Amino acid sequence: MKRLAWLLVAAVACGDNIAAVGPAPLRRLSNLEYRYALTDLFPTVAVELPPLPADTAVAGFENEVQAQQPSDLRIARVEAVANLYASAATKDDAAVRLLTGCASWATPSEAAACSAQFVRTVGARLFRRPLTAEEEDRFLRKLTAWAMSVDFPGAVQLSLSAMLQSPQFLYRPEPPLVLDGTPSGTAPVEPYAMASRLSFFLWESVPDDELLAAAARGELQTVASIREQATRMLADPRAARLIWDFHRQWLALDRILNDEHDYRTPAIDEAWTADTKTSVLQESQLFVEHSFLRVGTLADLLTSRSAWVNAEMARIYGVPAPATADAWAETVLPAEQRAGLLTRAAFLAGTSHRGGTSPPVRGSAILLRMMCRLPAPPPPDADLSMPVQDPRIGPQTNRQLFEDRTSTPACRECHRALNGIGFGFENYNAAGRFVTQEHGLTIDVASRLFGTDIDGAFAGGIEFSAALQRSREVYHCASQQWLRYALGRAATDDEASLIGDLTDQFMASKGDIRQLLLAIVTSNTFRMRIVGSTAGVAP
Amino acid sequence: MNRRQLLKALGLGALASMAPVQVRRFLAAAGNATPPTRIVFFVTAHGHTPKSWNMPFGNVPPDQFLDRPLLPMARGEFSEMLRPLHPYRDRLLVTEGLANVVNLHNIAEAMRTGGDINNHSIAVAGLLTGNVVQQNVGVPCTGGARSIDQELAIRTGAPGRFGSRVYGFDYSAVAGVSPFSFLGPGQAAPKVADPLVAFSDLMGLYVPPPTGETPSREQVLNGLRPSVLDAVAREYDFLAPQLDAAGKQRLEQHRDFVRNLELSLGVGASATCDPSFVPAGDRITQFMDIIKLAFACDLTRVVTFVAPVPECTEFGYPADATVHRYAHRSIAGGSTCGANYEPEAERAMADLGVWYANHFAYLLEQLDSVVEGNGTMLDHTAVVWLTELATPTHYHHDAFAVIAGGGNGKLNTGRYVRYPRTDGSPLAGYANVGPAHNRLLVSLMQVMGQADNSFGLSSVRSANGNLISLQGALPELLR
Repeated sequence: MKRLAWLLVAAVACGDNIAAVGPAPLRRLSNLEYRYALTDLFPTVAVELPPLPADTAVAGFENEVQAQQPSDLRIARVEAVANLYASAATKDDAAVRLLTGCASWATPSEAAACSAQFVRTVGARLFRRPLTAEEEDRFLRKLTAWAMSVDFPGAVQLSLSAMLQSPQFLYRPEPPLVLDGTPSGTAPVEPYAMASRLSFFLWESVPDDELLAAAARGELQTVASIREQATRMLADPRAARLIWDFHRQWLALDRILNDEHDYRTPAIDEAWTADTKTSVLQESQLFVEHSFLRVGTLADLLTSRSAWVNAEMARIYGVPAPATADAWAETVLPAEQRAGLLTRAAFLAGTSHRGGTSPPVRGSAILLRMMCRLPAPPPPDADLSMPVQDPRIGPQTNRQLFEDRTSTPACRECHRALNGIGFGFENYNAAGRFVTQEHGLTIDVASRLFGTDIDGAFAGGIEFSAALQRSREVYHCASQQWLRYALGRAATDDEASLIGDLTDQFMASKGDIRQLLLAIVTSNTFRMRIVGSTAGVAP
Repeated sequence: MNRRQLLKALGLGALASMAPVQVRRFLAAAGNATPPTRIVFFVTAHGHTPKSWNMPFGNVPPDQFLDRPLLPMARGEFSEMLRPLHPYRDRLLVTEGLANVVNLHNIAEAMRTGGDINNHSIAVAGLLTGNVVQQNVGVPCTGGARSIDQELAIRTGAPGRFGSRVYGFDYSAVAGVSPFSFLGPGQAAPKVADPLVAFSDLMGLYVPPPTGETPSREQVLNGLRPSVLDAVAREYDFLAPQLDAAGKQRLEQHRDFVRNLELSLGVGASATCDPSFVPAGDRITQFMDIIKLAFACDLTRVVTFVAPVPECTEFGYPADATVHRYAHRSIAGGSTCGANYEPEAERAMADLGVWYANHFAYLLEQLDSVVEGNGTMLDHTAVVWLTELATPTHYHHDAFAVIAGGGNGKLNTGRYVRYPRTDGSPLAGYANVGPAHNRLLVSLMQVMGQADNSFGLSSVRSANGNLISLQGALPELLR
């Protein structure tokens, strides 16, 4: 009740515009957040987890609230995982001492003191806030009872399992803001809930001690203090998780892991194996993480030639392999061939088929993910098979085949935009290797953009990537996607002006991702909640 | 392995296969609209050092009446021994200052007539009878009247339901001084000391105790999965109402899946009447499970449980130590044996108290896990913790008496009541005493729906000739 009273005062004192604050539906930890949370909470525990039911991706993102319906399988897995962790974290007396922070539980009074300490401290880490007196009571009751049925370490194990299955751990409930007689308005998110908002966004995991301490001091209520913590968090290695996971989902880079990419035809790449695709994805991850660490701009992601390669990726990119087998080493990719993510194998091979590239697929991927344009579906009678060479005509390039296939009036209008992008990437084959010839013919990558804010001629992926930096549409789309990932939901109409503001800042900072993230976490919709009868109602 | 499989593994296969039929019968029996009132007498040996369980409440003089709500108190403000009961404080009633006046009277009589004046035999005989002891020449004295649990057994028993069950142990190494429950003068109520036999009795069939087949630690942990899931499901119940409609609905969905998983593992931990039994935990814990089963299936409404005196290793003390030796050295000064005070003994007795309190809390947790009527079984039960002697140093005044449970609305719980010690003792030279323990017994009779205004003796005389009334309930305890 103390916390509620405080919120009411804040609501009255704060005159923020309600329109700028969107709904805050109850969020479950995504599989990623769940795994990272367990790793961070139990750094000394190594447990092989059973497969979790996949998070359904919505708009490419795996943390969408609307797709977080519970299922019997998930609940069973959560129980199994909780039991595995609880058992491993209490596997011997040393582990129990580490977990509880108690020196001894040999006598009943020591055990009682240790029980209380365990529930209070471990509970606070797992629930990301001090437990309420009632919660402490409930878990202590259970622990005490289970200690009678088994023994003290066994009771700690069962209590830990229960905590790991509790909604306070698996979900991110925020203190109730709907009260009878509450005036409508907005209020800063309660400090501990704000700590979780920050950590689950910026680290995809639980808050650390410093963040919880800031919450305990009642901080995280102002833009300044949120900015201070978020700046610190972005400098932490854990921020790399967010940077990679966001870009992996945003640009659908892990599409390369699909079964269809286990194989490439010999004409495309004789040496391609099912293992290649994991190397391909890892190359992207190392690139994205290092780019953020060293530069941290969208421009660098689109233009940098820095790369980390192992022997397999060195082969694909045609650069010298690292000295030791299986090692990853930094290199610089050829200047005339590569620049940034769109010219790397994960995107290029992931948007191809086993026997050839598909310029429309590459084009639609870029339009959809980077410019937030939803391509129209092909008409019902469209021939969606890969076009093949016609011996009567003689050898043709892939570009020529697609030009013929999409030249009918029904196809032409849409494919002008799709092919316009895709044809520019024809120097990269379905394995992501750089090629200039096809069937003895020179590949033509001169192309033209249609229907965007950077329309005009360009030639090749490098020029295209450079052109994207001039596109407000790209910055707008990136801002929109980042905001969606931060909120676990689509922006409301009321939040459109926020996306506009973020876009302006993002462009002004020359695509500085840190600045964008700081702008998001200090925005009203991220740090405030609606108080009153409409609070938290899902869109 | 679920409970039923575990039963099979324990050689109780026949019983396990009967369980579904039993469940139906018991569920029907337990489905009463108005839950009955039950009572447990939880008796432990010796007594506890006042320091370990009394709550000082700042500057209130210890001889003054005091009535304090427990609910606002933090865990750390509870005395060490009662701290395990802190989570149940809303249904806790602690009394300080009651005196076993009848015991003092019986000692005075024995001194006059030359009977047994051993403090232990006097205390055991008088605790639940509240009456004159039966003195037999040359042997320890014993109960001289029907004890309260057996009186209630007669009054609340019904065809198809046991009047009472008496469980537990011969608490003392001193032979022949253990029964607390008496059918009548000198006639101890039969007591069962093996939890498996107690279970068989309830089920109405004798199962030979399996030899050496206690479940492994792993099996016990596994068998507690439904209990963990039950606790988890409750967390969803607690949290859901605090959320908006969509969040509430999501958590309720989640909760339902948890409950389904719990059920798929065997009989749900929250089942009203679960007639299976797994011998997990120590002897006391097993009997607590039996009590839950007996009450939840309405097989009896009155249970007396006499706790064993543990080996010192059971509560973390050296194997060569004994509780009896610790008891005699646990309080500085005050009595002849107190002259041998050792701080280690005081610590040990406090730890023993916590050890008992943990078991007592376990019973409360079991009773509170059964939902019935508008609350839980704990709301409809009076769980009465009494000690044989008032203190480890053999006093009979300033007794320990803690009641937990709502007594079906009749107990005024959530309070700490301290009685002033203003009456002269029946024993010359003894300290002044508080209200008579008999009045607690009267109160409990009334909680159990009886109109009695006295139980056992109705009055005794103090050494200085004043009449001490033992009649009437203690009004502070009742609603």
